[in-house]
Amino acid sequence: MAETLNLSSPPDSDSSSISDQSVSSRIGNRSLRVAKKEKQKLEAVDPFVKALKYFSDVDAGTPVVGNDEFESNLVRVERVAYSKGLSPNAISIMLEFAMSLRMGTSPCVRVLKCLIPASVVPQEAVVRAWVWLGVGKIPPSTQVLFIKWVLTIFDMIDAKDQLRAIYGFIFSFVTDENMCPFICHLLYLLTRKGSVRVFRVRKLLELQSKLGRQPFLLHLLSLYKVFCPELVTLSIPSRMRSGFRNHNSHWKSALIAVQKRNNSQVASSTSLPFTIKDKPGSRKRKHSHLQMPALHSVVNKQAQTESSSTRKVVPLVQVQSFAELLDNIHRIELPSQMGSLLGSSLALQYLDCVQDESALLRLNFWLGYALHEEFLFCGDGGASQNSEEARLFLNKLLSTQHFLQEGFSSTEAFLYKFLCIWDGSLLRPQILELLSNIPVVPSTQIRRLLFEPLMQLFFTSSVFFKCGMMECLNNMLLKWLTWHSVYALEDDLDISLNSQTSINMTLSGFKDSVMELIHFVGRLASVGLQLEGCHTLFLNFVLDFYETVCDTFLKYGLPLVVMPPAGVFYPALFATDPVSVDRLAHIMKRYKVNLVSAKSQEKNTEQAFHISRQTVREFNHYMVVMVNCLWNSKMFHTGMGVELGEELLLKSNVPQYWKSFDLIHHPAFMSYAISFHQKCWPGRKDMDLNSIKHSKPWTWYLEYLYSQGYDGLKQIVPAQ
Amino acid sequence: MSLLKPFSKLPALNTANILLVESEEQFQQSLADALVEETAVTVNVRLAKSLPLPKENEESRPRIDLVVFIINMTSERSFKSAEASLKYLDPGYFLGKVCFLATNVRNASVPTEYLDAVRKLAASLHCPLLFAEDQTPDGVANATERLLTILKVAAGLVPMATALYVSSLTRCSVPPDIDQPSFD
Repeated sequence: MAETLNLSSPPDSDSSSISDQSVSSRIGNRSLRVAKKEKQKLEAVDPFVKALKYFSDVDAGTPVVGNDEFESNLVRVERVAYSKGLSPNAISIMLEFAMSLRMGTSPCVRVLKCLIPASVVPQEAVVRAWVWLGVGKIPPSTQVLFIKWVLTIFDMIDAKDQLRAIYGFIFSFVTDENMCPFICHLLYLLTRKGSVRVFRVRKLLELQSKLGRQPFLLHLLSLYKVFCPELVTLSIPSRMRSGFRNHNSHWKSALIAVQKRNNSQVASSTSLPFTIKDKPGSRKRKHSHLQMPALHSVVNKQAQTESSSTRKVVPLVQVQSFAELLDNIHRIELPSQMGSLLGSSLALQYLDCVQDESALLRLNFWLGYALHEEFLFCGDGGASQNSEEARLFLNKLLSTQHFLQEGFSSTEAFLYKFLCIWDGSLLRPQILELLSNIPVVPSTQIRRLLFEPLMQLFFTSSVFFKCGMMECLNNMLLKWLTWHSVYALEDDLDISLNSQTSINMTLSGFKDSVMELIHFVGRLASVGLQLEGCHTLFLNFVLDFYETVCDTFLKYGLPLVVMPPAGVFYPALFATDPVSVDRLAHIMKRYKVNLVSAKSQEKNTEQAFHISRQTVREFNHYMVVMVNCLWNSKMFHTGMGVELGEELLLKSNVPQYWKSFDLIHHPAFMSYAISFHQKCWPGRKDMDLNSIKHSKPWTWYLEYLYSQGYDGLKQIVPAQ
Repeated sequence: MSLLKPFSKLPALNTANILLVESEEQFQQSLADALVEETAVTVNVRLAKSLPLPKENEESRPRIDLVVFIINMTSERSFKSAEASLKYLDPGYFLGKVCFLATNVRNASVPTEYLDAVRKLAASLHCPLLFAEDQTPDGVANATERLLTILKVAAGLVPMATALYVSSLTRCSVPPDIDQPSFD
């Protein structure tokens, strides 16, 4: 109350001079009132309450023009609305005043614009306003404004059951061309299985033939189709223009500002029923709901008890334990705010085992909308975006995806767009992890959607970004292969990409995508190693990737063997750290095991895959190079990968150049050779590394090397 | 009309020169401050509102290795100015020594056609198009790092890599319209 007083005490510079007068008279009144302390406090002291009283009592037909009392009262309400937001009661009064057109249409727009709720919006008020909408005196633009307002504050309406009850009434507005997109959006949010009726489907189809394939109609129809596939025979494109774009930045920014302010003021207050909801988030659409502990604002108490007794459905909110979930799994009612599912592990359990397509569709819709609004389409270009909040949100999304062990299609669509405008550092860990969760991309699309934006980012960024990207692509491949090994068991040819959608992919299609990915990473790795001067850290990430690639057949049952390109093999072979060389040896060993078992399967069973001769030739070539170079001291021999002219080599004055990359002289292992030499011949003054090459010390040296943990090398050429 | 030429002057040892062109001069300065912090090579930063560069300093001006056009996506003037400046560059620059840096791309007031226009411009000139979050310190640091990556190659400081080679990998492409219903 004191705050309101303070707010109203400075003279109004923004309002007209006429209202100044009335304010000053009010201040005079107040000093009188202070003298008479017995007066009813609330009504007398708080001018805001008085203003509200004015709006609830004002007679119909009171003129607006020149009405100072109206003006000053409205200014007062506006000021409170923009600073603290309006209480539920105030919202009811003002909405009723505006929609009843008691003072004509001109104040209606102004009032609607300042209806910023502080906590919740009472459902009754919204329903009443809808009734006024039906009276038909409100001009079309104002009608649209009202629906936009409802859409903006939809999550803050305290219950939705009565709104659902007038579903048919709301539906009747769909024929109005101006309102149709917004009505469709609202219907999308309200639709339950029971609301899908033949005549409604028919109406929508009729509208579609009139207006064309509008995205808002398609969205609503796709939801109808999910609920009642038998009623909607229309084919719906699997990827659609994302969401309804009915955001209103005016309300949104005002709402964010009000919520931010309120959080700092009343964070500890428990009197508000929704403080838990309001506390962490300033974004109305997502963070606030994600932070909801349970599925709070979904169904009001009364509706809960009512529905559980009569309609035999159990709202997810009431389910407290896993056992309860199991008991009621056939009659669970999903919340109206699908985003709240992300925060509740029970809800996710339900989602996972029931595989309710409508729930996933709605969740995807909500998620796509939230991601688009918050990350692609910020009101202020992301300047005020609290990255901590965004990070928490994405982390929550990630943990949900890990729980469900698959990505959402809306996340996927979002990522494709986001990658095209990403600066490469904003929320990097989260974005890369989300990216590694995307389901298999068809090989015809993979280049445009994924590779081109990634390539541009990769080659313009630092080596650490390159490492992160390599790790992300490795995880992506791992997940694709795991999906394959899980789903391919059910059917030999078709693998379901994702349990959420019914898109299937043939095995060859899947193989093409995987091959594209592996070749793409091969290119990135080769050029990346070249540009970064064979950076050791980056090389290790590359080798991580090839550790996955070399085992595709044995570990994941995918009949595919792809060898690393020369641009990866040689930098690893000539790396200056022994670990990389050893890992390369290990990878080559695994390639060998995979190829051998594939070959033997080819002989035994008819249907095993055919390994191209080229792959085997490549492998043999690499193997020969590796063994000749490290063990046999035959570097630069003809027939090896690296050939140099004899004269050129002689010109270089390197003594015994063919030995320069064997296990003794290789830059990665030279230190081992020296320490071995010292241990083997402790008394010798002059060091002659070549003496290790004699048969006995050579065997000891190999054993010494292998004992240092270089198992990869040991696997290729075991010491006798 | 004096063209800015990439190879008319000799390079200095271990030095890279970058020219930042921005008509609104908002992001230029902070970016320049961050760029000169680089220690591995000497980075000289030159700032300009638009091209052509004035004639008087032509003698003392070092060889410019990379020209960066900073485009603020919320202002159309910024784009128009960059577009007008392009014709004062020698064609040799378009072999990997020009890049575009767009800021404010996630702003709600950016019309999609405008983003498409910038993308098409960069794609038609075979130049990379980077995006930067110029309002956060992390975003500025990252933009600096990426520009340095390109600059080092353009100045010939990375062995085994030329500007033309890298630009063939990083140049902008016009992305598919994911929103199209036909996309499936």
